Amino acid sequence: VSTDPQGAVPLRASELPAAATRLSTAELRGLRNDLFSKEQARQRALITRTEKIEVTLEVPGHQGTLLIMNKGLSTPRCCARHLTEWHVNSSALALVDGEPWPMHRPLTQNCSLALLHFKMEDPHHVNKAYWRSCAALLGQVLQNAFKEEFSVELLTSPEVPVTSGAFCCDLVLDSQLDSWVPSEEALRSLTRDAHQLIQQNLPWEPLQVSPSFAIKIFSHSSYKQKEVEERAAESASGLVTLYRCGDHVFVSGGHLVARTGLCSQYDVTAIHNLGQTELGLLRRAQGLSLPVQLEAHHTVWRKLRGRAERLVG
Amino acid sequence: MALLCCRLLRLAEPVSGASRLLCPPLIRPDSCPPVQALRNLRTATWWDEHLSQENVDFLKQQVPEEYNRLTASKINPLKDEPWPRHEWEPGSRRVGLVGVKLGMMPVWTKDGERHVVTMLQVQDCHVIQYISKEEYKSKTAALVVGAKNVSPFYRTEKQMEMFRAAGVPPKQKLSVFKVTDNAIIKPGTPLYAAHFRPGQYVDVTAKTIGKGFQGVMKRYGFGGQPASHGQTKTHRRPGASGPGGDPAKVFKGKKMPGQMGNIYRTTFGLKVWRVNTKYNILYVHGSVPGHRNCLVKVRDTNLPTHCEKNQQPPFPTYFADGDEELPEDLYDEDMFRFGDESISVV
Repeated sequence: VSTDPQGAVPLRASELPAAATRLSTAELRGLRNDLFSKEQARQRALITRTEKIEVTLEVPGHQGTLLIMNKGLSTPRCCARHLTEWHVNSSALALVDGEPWPMHRPLTQNCSLALLHFKMEDPHHVNKAYWRSCAALLGQVLQNAFKEEFSVELLTSPEVPVTSGAFCCDLVLDSQLDSWVPSEEALRSLTRDAHQLIQQNLPWEPLQVSPSFAIKIFSHSSYKQKEVEERAAESASGLVTLYRCGDHVFVSGGHLVARTGLCSQYDVTAIHNLGQTELGLLRRAQGLSLPVQLEAHHTVWRKLRGRAERLVG
Repeated sequence: MALLCCRLLRLAEPVSGASRLLCPPLIRPDSCPPVQALRNLRTATWWDEHLSQENVDFLKQQVPEEYNRLTASKINPLKDEPWPRHEWEPGSRRVGLVGVKLGMMPVWTKDGERHVVTMLQVQDCHVIQYISKEEYKSKTAALVVGAKNVSPFYRTEKQMEMFRAAGVPPKQKLSVFKVTDNAIIKPGTPLYAAHFRPGQYVDVTAKTIGKGFQGVMKRYGFGGQPASHGQTKTHRRPGASGPGGDPAKVFKGKKMPGQMGNIYRTTFGLKVWRVNTKYNILYVHGSVPGHRNCLVKVRDTNLPTHCEKNQQPPFPTYFADGDEELPEDLYDEDMFRFGDESISVV
């Protein structure tokens, strides 16, 4: 913390004139969205001629079916559209040659494709991806819920298993809100915002970019730039996957499911204070969600919600 | 499956609206469908459709435990913010009970007369809600009483909210009792059979056994027509429907075939012969509308001839945490008890 030349008000490090000028949340969102769209268009324009790839389906009922798709353009969702509407609406994740693959990422070579949904015998890939997606949705809701004068910094969400009872999203709020304790009404309004996003059925669009471009997108947040560097270091190809939902661009720790519309019951259950860090007071927002295919009766949902209010992770 | 020939189509899929130039005009981008369909939030599913067997067993075991916890803490509902208890005055009305009709049995008086009684068991009876006379838009306030715990999986969210507000498990039947202001009870209080004492008179209301659409002979006891001697297709019909040409109409309320039973009826002035406090059973005189195991509403009688026998009842109700210790069975003084001595020599 340093004071400005007149010595009137202490400024935070990110507000010094040396860093980029302070933008409002809406402007920042728009800026990142534009950069994402431009990069997406640029990557699409790199494909000048359509080459064909052969995709073998491993979907129960369509075993061994061969599809001829476009290289670099067709996604697993396109392949599902060749089957039935149920396959399109219920597929959350795809398995390309045994590896989890987002539904909206284009296929690049001949491969075998399996479509994963929530009612399979072994849904652990889908479960993990679903929990991560719900945490990402919670992060998006929190980013856009506060008034313009309060800053919100989303941190890396911890990877919690589904059996722990709730997904969580760590964040640091403006220091003026250190004494704010969220009331029931506040949690309900966050839940309403989340349901708005679910109603719009927005896709989680993945984009693989170079670390330098990712750092450029997050130029207004040093924490996010550090996160991008860490992800680039641990990924095999050296590329970073950015996700966009609506107009919110973020980086995630793993694969996400196809669309927000796959969640049906969604509740923001609690916001716990974890303690002071160098960025500020660390808070953990927790929520509970169930997908469309596994809805719970309201009595069962209440019991699960009771567990989700306790601190997790 | 014969998909090989028809599936070899080329499809370019634009992911966002920005790259519209590349896609053919027929294919719509998926991220913004032109018609925003409203999602239907009502689902046609039952409560354990998506639960594993372990979860179902766990819930089945946990729900009764939760009910016991809710009711156990209410044995002393007056420990926190007790509502004031008033004394009985002539003209005050107190709350009633909702019970389950178990069956009938004979009783004998000390003079040797045989009567029949109906057994009504009070199972998990709680006061759910208090409605003040302004809200109820009447001269007296009202209390809503519920009886017999049921599963929470077949009750709607609104009903569950009401039960949660009272702190009781969800009930099968709710009844409204009009009470005077000196007899109001805090919601959540349990009600027991000892609320009524032997010698009091009660009215019992219940839905009669439904007989469905019945003809006029069963419904009103009409005579019908003879079985033989030339009757053409007329054996159980009503016959004439009115006087004839002078009114030249059929009067309103003419007894005709229709729905019989499954309506609320009250039997008045039933004497309580015996009260069992261990199993919460009331033995009321005679018969009561309804089938076995149906829920009936029991209240102090309105008949003026039995008013003096209903004086000084437990008011506003019998509280289990009170000082009085009741024996297991309370008998009316006229009733013959089989354990008594038949002859005593002085």
